[in-house]
Amino acid sequence: MSVIGDILLYFFTGVLYWWWTANLSVFGLAPDLIFTAALAAAIIARPVKALIYCFSFGICLDMLGSNLFGGYALTYTLMAYGIYIMKRHLDLVSPFSQVVAALTLTVVSMLFYQGLSLTLAKINPLQLKAFLVEPFLNALLAPVVFYFFTQLKRRFDLL
Amino acid sequence: MNREKDMANYVAVFFVFISSLLLLFPSTRIAQTVRIFVSYSLYPSLHYGAKYDYFVRNVPGNFLNILKTDQENRVLAGRIKELEISIKAAQAVEEENLRLTSELELSRNLALKGVWARVVNKNPQDWYGAFFINKGARDGIAPNATVVGFESGRAGLAGRVLEVYQDFSKVLLITNSVSSVICSLPGASFEGLAEGRGTWLLKMNYIPEGSEIAEGMELVTSPGGLLFPQGLPVGRVRKVHPKESFMNFITADVAPIITVNALKEVYIVNRDLPSDLAGLSEILKK
Repeated sequence: MSVIGDILLYFFTGVLYWWWTANLSVFGLAPDLIFTAALAAAIIARPVKALIYCFSFGICLDMLGSNLFGGYALTYTLMAYGIYIMKRHLDLVSPFSQVVAALTLTVVSMLFYQGLSLTLAKINPLQLKAFLVEPFLNALLAPVVFYFFTQLKRRFDLL
Repeated sequence: MNREKDMANYVAVFFVFISSLLLLFPSTRIAQTVRIFVSYSLYPSLHYGAKYDYFVRNVPGNFLNILKTDQENRVLAGRIKELEISIKAAQAVEEENLRLTSELELSRNLALKGVWARVVNKNPQDWYGAFFINKGARDGIAPNATVVGFESGRAGLAGRVLEVYQDFSKVLLITNSVSSVICSLPGASFEGLAEGRGTWLLKMNYIPEGSEIAEGMELVTSPGGLLFPQGLPVGRVRKVHPKESFMNFITADVAPIITVNALKEVYIVNRDLPSDLAGLSEILKK
């Protein structure tokens, strides 16, 4: 039951991300729901499940975009592992720490993905306005997604 | 705990390895086609320019042709919408052109000489009362100048200029409840007073009992009225009311010759009015 719930949550997040970016973008900008979902999953879930979630969310982004295939999968896998290490030393449960984590990790993951794209495909995928605004949008959304995922874990034993 | 820790390390290495494989090894023809198909279905846009070749590598040409056709179709659908809007705009311009040509032709044949003005502002709360025109004192417009409208190839009295400013003027329509015009039937010996009622109909009062007035007859401005030039069509009788027992005259409903609240351009006729009428507008405004 939990596995089916996890799969449903994965697809629901993917569809919501697609719908949001397709319909609610303002000046081409929208918070990266997949990123915040991956972040929340990495904080809440057990390490192995968190890695599976983040890798899967990365694959989802790779499928939706037409850029470097596997780039997001690698980025989010490394991010999940990084959070797994960080969790031992830092409190990531409070909203403030989630905001800070989302802010910094968005920038780091964007730069990492940029580096991958430039190295492997000689493509510059990073837009300046996204780079400047998206970290803040993600930071605002992260506590909300975290709360939602926490409720799912409590009530349905997902994640 | 240690087992979970080890497991997490193994899984992390495994996923990094898989991701690296996906990154480093070029996708097969089928995988790349499926990927382009999925991403195009969700975001129907093709990347052009320098990046284009990279995105569509290994994708069969016939599949790309379908995507390009779809893109072309979207562009053409947008173009059709733009053209439909342009056609609507062109139709409106053509209609305006025909109307202006007709009005200009009519004004040339009119014995009265004046200037054209465009109706620039109407007050919804005073729809049958007044409107503003884009000509004022700079254009030689004077208070009480006659305002003529044109409709269906005919000229008709629309009202008179009530207030004059530098670049615009206010026109008092004949349908305004404070407006009245002395009218007569061409060839008839009687006169009556067509008064506005704030609606689209005028009411003609003081028609002597026994006058030969009937529905459909056309009323024109009377020589007895100083404000308006004589012989200008005002309206057509719609209904003649029977005489009331306490009155010694009859009344009639009159429909204006022109739809005064649908006018877009008007012709302003300046006349040399007696100086006594100069203060009339001020009195009306009070």
